[in-house]
Amino acid sequence: MKAYQTTVFAALLAATSLTQAQAADPIKIGVVTPLSGTYAGIGQQVRWGLDLAVKEVNAAGGIMGRPVELIYEDEEANPTVAVQKAEKLFEVSKVDFLTGTVSSGSTLAVGQTAERAGKLIATTVSFADSITGDRCSPNVFRVNARAGQQSAALAVWLSKEKPQAKVFYLGPDYEMGRSTVAAFKASAEKVGASTVGEVFAPLDAKDYTQYFGQIRAARPQVLYTSMAGNDTVRLLTQLQEFGLVGNMALVGAAGTVTSQNLAAIGNAAEGFVTGAGYSTQIDTPENKKFLDAFKAAYKADPDLYGTDSYGVIYGYKAAVEKAKSTETDKVREALSGLKWMTPQGEKTIRAGDHQAIQTMYVVRITNGQFKIGGQVSGEDAIGPDTCTRF
Amino acid sequence: MMAAVLEYVQFVLAPQIVTGLAFGVAVILVAIGLTIIFGLLDVINMSHGEFYAFGAFAALALGSLGLPFWLLLALVPLLMLPLGYFTERVLIQRVFNRKDRHVTTLLLTFGLGLVLEDAFRLAFGPNPYRPDTPIRGAVTLFGVFLPNYRLFLIVVGAAVIAAVALVVYRTRLGAMVRAAAFDRNMAASLGVPVATVYAGAFAFGIALAGFAGVLLAPIYSVFPTMGRDFILMAFTVVIVGGLGSIAGAVVAGLFLTQVQAIASLYISPVWTDPIVFGIMVVMLMVRPRGLFGQLGHG
Repeated sequence: MKAYQTTVFAALLAATSLTQAQAADPIKIGVVTPLSGTYAGIGQQVRWGLDLAVKEVNAAGGIMGRPVELIYEDEEANPTVAVQKAEKLFEVSKVDFLTGTVSSGSTLAVGQTAERAGKLIATTVSFADSITGDRCSPNVFRVNARAGQQSAALAVWLSKEKPQAKVFYLGPDYEMGRSTVAAFKASAEKVGASTVGEVFAPLDAKDYTQYFGQIRAARPQVLYTSMAGNDTVRLLTQLQEFGLVGNMALVGAAGTVTSQNLAAIGNAAEGFVTGAGYSTQIDTPENKKFLDAFKAAYKADPDLYGTDSYGVIYGYKAAVEKAKSTETDKVREALSGLKWMTPQGEKTIRAGDHQAIQTMYVVRITNGQFKIGGQVSGEDAIGPDTCTRF
Repeated sequence: MMAAVLEYVQFVLAPQIVTGLAFGVAVILVAIGLTIIFGLLDVINMSHGEFYAFGAFAALALGSLGLPFWLLLALVPLLMLPLGYFTERVLIQRVFNRKDRHVTTLLLTFGLGLVLEDAFRLAFGPNPYRPDTPIRGAVTLFGVFLPNYRLFLIVVGAAVIAAVALVVYRTRLGAMVRAAAFDRNMAASLGVPVATVYAGAFAFGIALAGFAGVLLAPIYSVFPTMGRDFILMAFTVVIVGGLGSIAGAVVAGLFLTQVQAIASLYISPVWTDPIVFGIMVVMLMVRPRGLFGQLGHG
């Protein structure tokens, strides 16, 4: 009798949850992002961008009539933790899609987890070329500009402002740092620059002064760095403390100096040049609308991470509506070659390697503002498709 | 040719040596506390790095209340004296007189370090804080560009180290400490309050670590695991210099940090750690007691 009752009860429960699923079962998007550690500030921007887009999408009726729900997990900028949190989101929370990874190491690792789980992920932050290059995955998409695209824009500035410059490279010692340095070195040498040295410091290094000896000895005219988050704050303030800021031009990756860490760096960041996929100064109605909504919600400027994270929700929405499904294979099909509008303009996902193509900007920090000094079209910046897996 | 050499020394070599010196002085401050505690109590204090972090966090917390840096530099070590005193009396003495003293005190202090580290994480969160540099700007001496705060760190740190050496080797108090280290029972029978000397020396070592924490906070930032980064180097200095030797800690501290600084000009600074630890291994093989003798001897 008891067993019979339980069965009936369970059947009733299953029936109610089924009917609910048909009505307005939310589309779940997992977010694995650093909410603590050296990249916590980047994770904050990711969160703001995603939250804002989801609020807008839900207010306008959701995706195919279903509301969107974000489920956050802190990955501490540590690939091991990122994989555990991604597995939890895939297996326990049953998310339909996953985004938010910041460190390139985390994106590569979580990409493999997604392949095993048969789910799709998109990074909105990671720079390493390999993610949509020789280590590409059919389950991984990237909606932000990779190292190669940034370098293409920065090399245009270099050839014009510092022709035949002697360049020194200083990057964080992991996938992203190695990849950004290699990408810019290739672009810079193509336009006539010479390399006078390169050195890599561990992620989250506290004191960069021991690296300054090699920089002084090499006497570069240009210092390229791809430090990010709090690492940039320490590097640039220490360069200034040791009187090295005035001697050479500072250039770097798009994520090195952003709205998020600019205040902490102060005037040591003045004059810093980068090639980026976003600047608050982009003069389009889409950007203006986004900028106003972001500032109203968070009392802070968005940076490239916040903007690319905002855009990924609209990209996923467009893909699901095109596929009329949240199934992995159908959404993958819809994302490949997808064109959609973002605050940065129209983005296109290249079918061959899942890399977004977009206009790139030369951005220079002038009086604390990210002034646009030139731009390179998406086609000129994207570079060859080197993905051979699909 | 001469001009080029001089320019290289001024622009490349000298700043690197000064940077190494600032780091060296800080390491020595931590290592001296470690070596005194070992030389006198025969205890390897595995929580020493966390007491260094304690000093930095205390400065951070009190600094946010508006206390000026100069006051904190004196106040934080003073506040840490009773902390160290009671740690020795209440915790270490509990296991001190067992036969396997080395193992029990090592485990005890190791556990204490873990507890402290997690306490910092609970109280302050995992993210680093960077206090403002108390002295900004720089000077140019003999054509060498030197940041003021690093110079200040070197001068103040060196003065404190000299004062410690003076107290231990030249005063009646120091003689009592050395006597207690040389022969505990003999010293006790001659009227040295050994138990107080032990707790006092432990407190003094902890206060030195806290002092280093306050000094270094504006350079290295303040975060829960900061003790771990630093303590490896301090242990290496103590082993190379000779367990229990203050002179040894000074000589080894200066030598090893200069090796790191100069080597960093030619190889990646990350790869200077293997060189330093290599020197330690060779020292352990060739001369296990280190460069200099123990606290109670010589």
